[in-house]
Amino acid sequence: MKHHINFKVNGDDYSLAVDPWRTLNEVIREDLNLTGTKLGCGTGDCGACTVLLDGRSVSSCLTLAVSVNGKSVMTVEGLAPSGEELHPIQEALIQTGGIQCGFCTAGMEMSALNLLNQTLSPSETEIKSALSGNLCRCTGYNQIVEAISMAADKMRDNAAEKEEQ
Amino acid sequence: MRLPKFEYFEPETLEEALRLLAEWRERVCVLAGGTDVLVKMRNGRLKPGAVIALERISSLNGIGFDLRKGLTIGAGAKLSDVTSHPDILRYYPAIARAARVMANVQVRNMGTIGGNLCNAAPSAENAPPLMALGAVVTAASLEEERRITLDDFFRGPGLTAMKPEEIMTSIFVPTPPANSGASYQRISARCGVDIAAVSVGAMIMIEDTVCREVRIALGAVAPVPMRALSAEAFLKEKVWSEEFLREAARISADESRPISDVRASLEFRKQMVAVMTQRALEEAYGRAIKR
Amino acid sequence: MESRFKIVGQDVPRTDAEVKARGKALYTDDMKLPGMLHGQILRSPLAHARIKHIDTRRALGLPGVKAVITGQDTPKIKYGNWRLFPDTQDEYPLAVDKVRFIGDEVAAVAAIDRDTAEEAMELIEVEYEELPAVFDVDLSIKPGAPVIHDYCPTNISVNRKIKYGDVEKGFAESDYVREDIFNTHSVSHAYLEPCSALAQVDLDGRITLWTSTQVPYIVQCLLASTLNMRENDIRVIKPFVGGGFGGKMELRAWEFCAAFLARQTGCPVKFTLTREEEFITGRRRHPMKIYSKVGFRKDGTLVAKDLKIQLDGGAYNAMGPTATFLCGNFGAMLYRYPNYRFHGEHIYTNKPPASAMRGFGAPQSLYATEIQMNMAAEELGIDPIDLRLKNAQVSGDEIPDVATISSSGFIDCIKAVAEMSDWKEKRKSLPAGRGIGIGCYSFISGGVFNWFNTQYPFSAAEVRVFSDGTAHLLTMASDIGQGSDTVLKQILAEELGLKMGDIRMTSADTSMTPQADLGSWGSRVTLMAGNAVIDAAKKIKEPLFGAVSARFNLNVIHDIECVNGRVQSKSRPDYGLTFGEAVAMVQKANRGEPLVARGSYTPRGKGLVTPAFGFGAQVAEVDVDKETGLVEVKHMWTAHDCGTVINPRSVEGQLAGSIQMGLGYALSEQFVMDGGKTLNTNFVDYKMPTASDMPPSELFHVETYEPEGPMGAKEAGEGLASPTAPAISDAVYHATGYRCMDLPITPEKILRNLKKNK
Repeated sequence: MKHHINFKVNGDDYSLAVDPWRTLNEVIREDLNLTGTKLGCGTGDCGACTVLLDGRSVSSCLTLAVSVNGKSVMTVEGLAPSGEELHPIQEALIQTGGIQCGFCTAGMEMSALNLLNQTLSPSETEIKSALSGNLCRCTGYNQIVEAISMAADKMRDNAAEKEEQ
Repeated sequence: MRLPKFEYFEPETLEEALRLLAEWRERVCVLAGGTDVLVKMRNGRLKPGAVIALERISSLNGIGFDLRKGLTIGAGAKLSDVTSHPDILRYYPAIARAARVMANVQVRNMGTIGGNLCNAAPSAENAPPLMALGAVVTAASLEEERRITLDDFFRGPGLTAMKPEEIMTSIFVPTPPANSGASYQRISARCGVDIAAVSVGAMIMIEDTVCREVRIALGAVAPVPMRALSAEAFLKEKVWSEEFLREAARISADESRPISDVRASLEFRKQMVAVMTQRALEEAYGRAIKR
Repeated sequence: MESRFKIVGQDVPRTDAEVKARGKALYTDDMKLPGMLHGQILRSPLAHARIKHIDTRRALGLPGVKAVITGQDTPKIKYGNWRLFPDTQDEYPLAVDKVRFIGDEVAAVAAIDRDTAEEAMELIEVEYEELPAVFDVDLSIKPGAPVIHDYCPTNISVNRKIKYGDVEKGFAESDYVREDIFNTHSVSHAYLEPCSALAQVDLDGRITLWTSTQVPYIVQCLLASTLNMRENDIRVIKPFVGGGFGGKMELRAWEFCAAFLARQTGCPVKFTLTREEEFITGRRRHPMKIYSKVGFRKDGTLVAKDLKIQLDGGAYNAMGPTATFLCGNFGAMLYRYPNYRFHGEHIYTNKPPASAMRGFGAPQSLYATEIQMNMAAEELGIDPIDLRLKNAQVSGDEIPDVATISSSGFIDCIKAVAEMSDWKEKRKSLPAGRGIGIGCYSFISGGVFNWFNTQYPFSAAEVRVFSDGTAHLLTMASDIGQGSDTVLKQILAEELGLKMGDIRMTSADTSMTPQADLGSWGSRVTLMAGNAVIDAAKKIKEPLFGAVSARFNLNVIHDIECVNGRVQSKSRPDYGLTFGEAVAMVQKANRGEPLVARGSYTPRGKGLVTPAFGFGAQVAEVDVDKETGLVEVKHMWTAHDCGTVINPRSVEGQLAGSIQMGLGYALSEQFVMDGGKTLNTNFVDYKMPTASDMPPSELFHVETYEPEGPMGAKEAGEGLASPTAPAISDAVYHATGYRCMDLPITPEKILRNLKKNK
């Protein structure tokens, strides 16, 4: 039996009927056509499918779509809605060269956001540990770690500026 | 593989959940986070007729601490909440550490402590420190609520002392006695995304350099997380010394019953039980004499 | 040194980074077409068996299933990348008569959705007659061993011999000879994007295939031959690809099945592998058994080397023949061996086929070379750095029958890492449990031997320029994440004096981009496609220069250049036009004919192996926990020579990425096998390093200029797959006395050895 669910994705309201055995990853990729979120393993080990669920990072491949009823999802597409200025995390990744094949990128960005939602002055160890659920085979992580640190600085500056105003 | 087809229930009260459970019995699978259950379903190892998700039962999710009594963790508490809870960090650092080093951020944001215990993997990360600290779980059915010590909880890989009509509601950990300390140590080949090849939880109470109480629990070295009872008996009432410590570690390795698998060989695991036991006891001792 | 380039060598961000950062880059599995069906492959559960009967009727009867095929339904044409030697083409897209490894493709289904396709799999009944299987090279070549392919009764599918000088005489003249056996293990490419292919058929029966591949042209040709179609009736498009590392450089069963089923059903069909399938059946790095004998003079001069390597190829040749050739070539690289002999054997076993993987035979072959160098250094009483400096290949050295090394910065690399790492001091004074070790590499910049038997240039480029001052670059070179699109744009922008934003690019679409290109592997793209781009750009510049000369009545002695968006005289920059104006003039002179040029590159007179060699050296410092045997890599230092650095961030990224892979190869990654069965089929048990496992590292570019390379460039990033394992291994030896002769270096092996030495 299909279940009716209402949930938000990147601020937009969706109302769908879903089979309970479908994962959030399948629904956002196949039904909502938000293909920025990837599927790398299906067992919660690689992090390519990471999204924020009510502000916390989760593996969308291990989340049942039916369970997000009433909740709010954020995917990579919500970081900088089309055409808008890039999010500092995205900007920094582009600048440092932290993006190669790009398949892990969306998940990395969401994990980074999960970290930066908690602290804007993470140490290198904290960044590495926050990203350790996101596998990457191209970059060796160095430039990604550098990028997240840069993004944190920028977001901290932005926050300070806002406060001054 | 895609998930098999099943019916889905999302009860908002424990009673409702228990009623569903009584109705579906063995054909149902309880979802408390889902990070283990969904993987099993994907691999085709689990094909339930129905899934009962516990997430919306808010009474299962709390964490409460009372210095006189102890710590009560709702079975549905997320692992990330366990690792960041100020009282757990202060009074139960070994529990916080076990929850923090397991799997990865995403899994800890989804997985629950009750789910980790009920999954009953021999390597369940949270089991050794909780056992060492004398944890007791509460299981509820429509008829009754009963308490099971964690020592009696695990019955085999994937098997527990809970009945099919029961749901775990909370885990209680007594306040650590004065002059005691606990530790959690593990070994794995990698820093992140990993399962321990061997893990050890230990708690000791020291009085005038004498080891008055000691509990050692081992993970991933037997079909179930197990107590190292001989090693405990050996250390008890002994005056703390390097030599006894090493001997206790050796005994603990002797009584472990590991197998060889993808993650490590039997011999290596035995060796590591000794090393991890020694390190856990050392850290626990350090904490005990500081308090 | 003041750069003579404006865009090459500058910190240019990758042009595909933003679309990837935004999650807007489309990979094959992201695409869907109206009416698209979902495919699924049924694989063999047995390592070696005869297929007696396949019953697909129940699967076909399942509502939603549109087609089920087995090998018998297909044209039954074998394929393989070594078209030059048709004997080596040993694989059917779907098994015919026999399966040879667990995971061998037996049947395929197309259904309205994935759930139905998976359900149908369980309804296909296959009756097998199990055959004795063999999983070990030593047993496989014994008389009476199970024969895996009828055409090859010995199970040795390729024999490769190289010989120059007189090895026996060399050993006789040596003061010190040593002989060792090394074993290396199998690891996974573990690219993050699982393989995926989507096929569509048009009304004329022509096929379009979007696929996650490194080699669109090879897929086009082999798909055509296996389907019995003409090459040009197949269009292969490479969308964004999530990494390959050698694992996506052949035609694969799902590509064939997508195309075949699209043709049969008239609907688009997509196949996407699961990670479990990737691990169970995926290609992998060759395990090798390496016998190496080397002779030195007392002063450390190398005199002779005798190398014998047995490759465990698994059930099919795949890219094994190339690996067999190359590991022998790598054995003769890096140092000067006046006398050299190599014998390589590619051996079938009933395991998932090994194939190309980053380094292509070098990580194995050079592991032996480098460890043996260190063992010899110790016994000769010479510092490993000095022994290397004494024997290092330098510019102008000739490898007999192979090539002349036109540029080598190897000696500078060795000196640089020694200095960066404080080698001399640390080698003497590190405390027990701490160690420092060295590993070096030399690598090819693309291959020369034409095993694919292409009738086209090795690389080609087409450049179109427009009167609005823009250019369009078309090439079949395949960006699979390494950044070749950006690098090729940089080269064109530099040549034409344009900005990155002035260049549009179409790459890797066989219907549009110029024939041909052998794909992304063997570190060939920068050098070969880069040269093709320069060739095309030069042909574009010729008429532009002519137009400017004519317009300003310039004397023939005037040098003209394309710079800053202008075409102008070097000495009198005011004599010139904007790039767009110059293009318009040329078009006017040719009755509006668009200005287009083709360029190509095929190595000539560069021997049979490679047109250019990259070099480098790496030092690792480790800390070994003597109780647990765990190795923590504390620091890595790397100095490398890739000729001109075209994109510094990309080169740094290649380096860090190869350290990640090398770290895994040395310490934590391996396929755990039970006979033919892969036991670790997920990322929890296939342990590739995470961010937290990465050591800090420092990099130094040794500047050389490669005359054969585009603007002096050569390979970067693939050679670096080799030095990490020997460097770490040597450091572990320095720290603990454990010399690893069989990779990987595990805590168990270290502890066993520590015990033995007590």
